[in-house]
Amino acid sequence: MKISLNWLRDYVALDASHDEISRAITFLGFEVEQVIRTGAPKLSHVVVGEVLVRDKHPNADKLSVCTVNLGDALGVKTIVCGAQNYQVGDRVPVALPGAILPGNFEIKQSKIRGQSSDGMMCSAKELGISEDAAGLLILADRPALGAAINDVLPPGDTVFDIEITPNRPDALSHLGIARELAAWFKLPLLYPQEIFRGAIDETVGSALRRDLLTSVRVDCPEDCPLYTAHIISGIKIGPSPAWLQARLTAVGLRPINNVVDVGNYVMLETGQPLHAFDARKLGGAHIIVRRAVAGEKLTTLDGKERVLTPEMLVIADATKPLVIAGIMGGVDSGVSPDTTDLVLECAFFKRQSVRATGKRLGLSSDSSYRYERGVDVHSSLEAAYRAIDLIIATAGGNVVGPAFRVGSAIPWQREIVVTHDYITEKLGFDIPAAEMRAAFEALEFTITREEPTAHPTRGPAWTVGIPSWRDDLDRPIDLVEEVLRLYGTEKIPPAVVSSPGLLADDDPLVVFNRRVTDYLVGHDFHECVNYTLRPAKEIAAWVSASAAQELALANPFVEDQSHLRPTLVTGLLESLKLNQSRGLGVTRLCETGRIFLERDGQNVECASVGFIIAEPIAQRTWLKSNRTPTEDLFAAKHHVAALAGAAGIDFGRQPLVPSAAPFFGWQEGHSAAAGNIAHGWTARFGLLNLAMVKSLGIEGKVYAGVFAILPEKITGDASRRRYADFSLLPAALRDIALVVDATTPSSEVQKTLAKLARAAVGNAFALESVSAFDVYAGPGVPEGKKSLAFSLVFRSSERTLTDDEVNAVFQKVQDEVGKTTAWLLRK
Amino acid sequence: MQDTLTALVAKAQPEFAALTTRPEFEAAKARYVGPNGELTALMKQMGTVPKEQRPALGKLINETKTRLQSLLDAALAQIEAAELQAQLGPAVDATLPAPDIGPGTYHPLTLVREEMCRILRKVGFTVADGPEVETEYYCFDALNTPADHPARDAQDTFYLPATAKFANVSKHNPEEKYLLRTHTSSVQIRTMLKGEPPIRIVSPGRVYRRDTTDATHSANFHQLECLYVDKNVTVRDLKALLDYIFASLLGKETKTRFRPHYFGYTEPSFEVDLTATHLPKVKKPWIEIGGCGMVDPTVFADVGYDPEVWSGYAFGMGLERLAMLLYGIDDIRYFYQNDVRFLKQFA
Repeated sequence: MKISLNWLRDYVALDASHDEISRAITFLGFEVEQVIRTGAPKLSHVVVGEVLVRDKHPNADKLSVCTVNLGDALGVKTIVCGAQNYQVGDRVPVALPGAILPGNFEIKQSKIRGQSSDGMMCSAKELGISEDAAGLLILADRPALGAAINDVLPPGDTVFDIEITPNRPDALSHLGIARELAAWFKLPLLYPQEIFRGAIDETVGSALRRDLLTSVRVDCPEDCPLYTAHIISGIKIGPSPAWLQARLTAVGLRPINNVVDVGNYVMLETGQPLHAFDARKLGGAHIIVRRAVAGEKLTTLDGKERVLTPEMLVIADATKPLVIAGIMGGVDSGVSPDTTDLVLECAFFKRQSVRATGKRLGLSSDSSYRYERGVDVHSSLEAAYRAIDLIIATAGGNVVGPAFRVGSAIPWQREIVVTHDYITEKLGFDIPAAEMRAAFEALEFTITREEPTAHPTRGPAWTVGIPSWRDDLDRPIDLVEEVLRLYGTEKIPPAVVSSPGLLADDDPLVVFNRRVTDYLVGHDFHECVNYTLRPAKEIAAWVSASAAQELALANPFVEDQSHLRPTLVTGLLESLKLNQSRGLGVTRLCETGRIFLERDGQNVECASVGFIIAEPIAQRTWLKSNRTPTEDLFAAKHHVAALAGAAGIDFGRQPLVPSAAPFFGWQEGHSAAAGNIAHGWTARFGLLNLAMVKSLGIEGKVYAGVFAILPEKITGDASRRRYADFSLLPAALRDIALVVDATTPSSEVQKTLAKLARAAVGNAFALESVSAFDVYAGPGVPEGKKSLAFSLVFRSSERTLTDDEVNAVFQKVQDEVGKTTAWLLRK
Repeated sequence: MQDTLTALVAKAQPEFAALTTRPEFEAAKARYVGPNGELTALMKQMGTVPKEQRPALGKLINETKTRLQSLLDAALAQIEAAELQAQLGPAVDATLPAPDIGPGTYHPLTLVREEMCRILRKVGFTVADGPEVETEYYCFDALNTPADHPARDAQDTFYLPATAKFANVSKHNPEEKYLLRTHTSSVQIRTMLKGEPPIRIVSPGRVYRRDTTDATHSANFHQLECLYVDKNVTVRDLKALLDYIFASLLGKETKTRFRPHYFGYTEPSFEVDLTATHLPKVKKPWIEIGGCGMVDPTVFADVGYDPEVWSGYAFGMGLERLAMLLYGIDDIRYFYQNDVRFLKQFA
C-alpha cells in the first residue's frame, strides 16, 4: 500500500531522512517496493520572474533572448531560452547562477551562441516536479516577482509503496505505520482527536431521523457482529478541500467528492472501511444486513451487474440489496451530487464471509482487502467519529440521532506472560531487560505486571497486555519477534555454525540420481531440464487414453501444460528439435526427474532417467563419417543396462520383451522393454517411432532409453558382495549354429542351450557361458529362418579338460537339441 | 682359410644392409648360416684341416659366425623398424579438431544444487527427498497454513481431480486433495513424521506455481530448503548458517542480512538479503535470496514433537534465482529450453 510521508507526520514528528525512514520500514518487517517523490524538491536560487521582452536570438533560429523581471531585489536579467510555449507577460520559474537543479545540474552565468545569459527559465521537469518537459512551467496564478519557488509551488511529498504481510492488517493504514515508526524512532504517537464522540443533541432533528431511517436489522450476526449507522443531515456535496485531495492523490486515489473522499481518507488513516448511503434512497427507510436471495442482482460501482447467491452478505433496504457487505456498494444507493442526508455505515464483517463472497464474484476492493485480513472491531467507532468530524468540516450538516448500533464488539483482553530468559534463549544472544520492556511499551503493549523469575541472576517475567489491533500475537514466541524487530535484525551477532557429525546419509534416490547423471554426462550426454507439465495431445502419443485422463490436472493454467508427464522422452525430443531448428549439432541429451505412470486405475510417482541419441544432422567434419561411433539399439541397450544397474538391478538377467506391435512412441521391431512398474521398475529402449519423430519436425533417426523406478524401491543398503573363486585352468570352447524361426528371440535359444549344456555337463565340470556370436539369414538358410551361432565355454576348476570329455558333452547337447527342439543344427 | 672367412664377411655386409623384407632376410640368412649356407660349408671343411690348426681356425670361424649374426640382427632390427613405420603411416596434424560430440555437460541447476548440497553437507546436512505430487496436509495444513489462505487457492496452486489416486503418495486424511507441491517444505513434514529429532536435512526439488511464464516466472521451478531440529537452536544459529552458506558460495566478503517477514510455519520469520556486487549484472547493494525463520511451535506440535523440548530453524530459496545470480543469467526460460549453447557454458 502507498504511505505518504506528509500524512505520517500528522501522527509522528519524523525528521529522519527518506532513506532512514525507508530503512526503518524495511527493518520493521515491511518491504519498501518503491519510494516515489512528488512535488518540487528543495531548490535555492530559483525564483519567480516575468518575461518583459522576447527577441529572436541573432545566431540561432530556435532560441530567444528574453528580458526577465525578477522584482525589486533581484532586478532585471537577460536570459537565453529555447522554449516556445510562453508569451511576454507570463510568470515562470527562473534558476539563477548558484542554483542546483535535480540531476545535479548547476546553473552558471554563461554565453549561448555568443549571447550572455544570466540563468535559465525552467520546465516542470527541470525542477523535478513532473515529467512535463514540453515547455516552461507557466505560473498561472501570478505569484509575487522574486519569490522563492518553494514558497510558490505546493510542497512535495514522499510516498513509500510498502508490502504489508498478511499477518499485519493493523499496518494497512497510516496510523498503523506511524505507530511502528514512532516505536522505531522512539517518538510519541499523536492520535487524531475527534470532536464528535457520540453525543447527539436530541432536540435537533430526531423526528427527521425517523423519516430517514427507522430501523437497522442484522439477520446474520455471525457474519456481522457489529453494525453502526449514523445519520448526518443537511450536508452539501462538493469537491474536497485541496489538502484532502492532495493526500488521496499522493497515495494513488482519485478524489471524487467530499463525502466519498472522507470515507477513503478515514479508511487509509485508520484501516476501518466505511460506507455512506444517500439516506433518501433507502427504500422503506430500513437497513437490513442479510444474506442475498438466490438470483438477486446488484449493479456495483464498477458498473458490472452481479448475480448474488444465498451465501453472500448484503446490506439491503426494505426491498433490494444496496451493497455487497464489506466489498462494494451499488450504483443506486451511493452519494450523488444532490445528496443532502447521509447514513454512514461503520461495521465489522467477518473475514471468511468477505473473502468467500469476493472470491465467488471475482471482486475485490480496498475495503474487502482490509476485511479479509482483519479489521480491528474495537477501534471501529473511533473511525466513525473521525469520519463524522471530517464530513461536517468539509460538507457541513449535523448528526441527527440517536445512532443505530446493532451487536457489540466482543470484549478484548489478551495477555501473554513472557520472561527475559525465554526471549534470550530463543534469540541466542542477550538484549537487556530494560530494552525489551521499552520495545513492548513503544508498540503500545501494556506491561500489567513485572516480577522476578525464580532464578536470581535472570531477568524478569512480564505480563504483557496485547492491544486489540494486534490479533496476530498470542504466544510468547510471537513477542520474541517483536523484541527482535525493534532491537534490529541487523544487530544479530555473528557466530560459527555448530555442526555435529553426520547422523544420516543422503536419500538413496538422490544418490541414484547423482550416479546416473554422472554416468550419462561421462558418456557425452548433455543434461537437460524440461517442464513436468505437458500438453494433452502429446501424452496421448505415449500412453493409453485412459492413462492420459488419469494424468490430467484439475485446473491447468495454460492448454499446453495440462498433464503430468508419463515419460522424459517427449521433453528431450522438444529440446532436440529446438537445437536442430537453431542449426546446432546435438546428438546426446539426457534428463533425470519425476514421471507419473498409471497402474490399475491408480497413478504412481516414479523417479526416472532417460536419454536420446540422435543421428548427427548435416554435420561437416574433416573426419570421415565412418569414424564417428555408430549408434544403434544396442548402444541404447547398453546405457539402459547401466542405468538400471545404478538402481541395483542386474539388467542382463531380466527378460526382455521386444515390441512386435506398434507401441506408442516406440518403433515396432526395433525396441524392447523390461520390468513392470507393478513390480517396482520399468525400462524401455530402442528406436523411436520414425513417423512420430518425423511428425515432430525432427530430422534423422532417434534412439532412446528410459528407466523408471518407484522411489521407495531404491534402497541404499546394498548387501556386501562375496568374493567367488575363479579357475586359472584353460577353457574349452565349442561352437554350435542353429537354424531357427526368424522371429525367435536369441535369448530364448541361448537360455535353452544353457539349460541343455548344464544338464549334459552335470557335476563333472562347469558350463561357464553361452553367448551368441553370429546371426545369419540368406543363401543357405531357408526363407523365414535365421541361423544363430553360439559359443559354449566349458571349464573345470580342478584340471585341464580333455577333448574327449568335452566332445562327449557337446555331442549330448547336440543330440538333445535334435530331440527336444524344432531347431536344426547347421553344419 | 682366414682370407676366405674375411671375404665372406665383407661380401655379407652390404648384402645384409640392403635387406628390406622378411623373406629377403630369411633367404639371406639361409645363404650364409643356413644348413646349406656358405659359412656352414666352410665349417664342414674343418675335418680336412690338420689337427694342430684346428683350435685357431675354430676360433676364427666362431668369430665370423658371431660377426654375421650381429649383422643379421642389425638387418632384422632395421626391417622391424620399417614395418612399424609402415603401420604408423604419415605424421598426423594434431591441431585438427576432434569431432565435437563431447564432452557431456551437467545442467546449471544440477551444478548449483550439488554445490549447495556439498556446502551444507560439510556442516552436517544430508539430502532428503519427497514426492512432487503432494496432499493439502503436507503442503499446507501441517505448515500452519489456514484453510482460507490465498496460497491454497486453485488460482495459485495446481490441483489434481478429486478422483485422482496416487498409490505411492500417502494421504494424511482420506478427504484431502492431491496437488503439485508449491514448496519443498512438505519434505520437512514427511521427514519429521518419519523420524525422531535431531534432524538436519536439505531438500532440493521441483515445485509448481500457477504462474504465467515470463523472464522471471515459470510453471515449475526448483527450491532448496534446510531444516534443523535440535535442542536450543537459536536465531543466532540460523544467521550463522546463512553467513556460512553464502560466504562459502560467493566468497568471504559476502554479507547477509535478515529482514523481519511473515511465513505461517516459522516464528520469527525473515527474508534474507545478501551482498553480491562482485557478481556479473548485480547492481543493487542487497539482493533478496530466500526466506527463513525459527520453526513455529505449532508445526512441531502437529508432527508430534514437544515444542517445549525441540526448537529449530528452516531456510528456503529458489535454485533458478540463485543460478541466475551466480552466472548472470537474465531469463529463467533458458533453463528449460536446453539450447546447447546455453548448456555448454557451465560444464
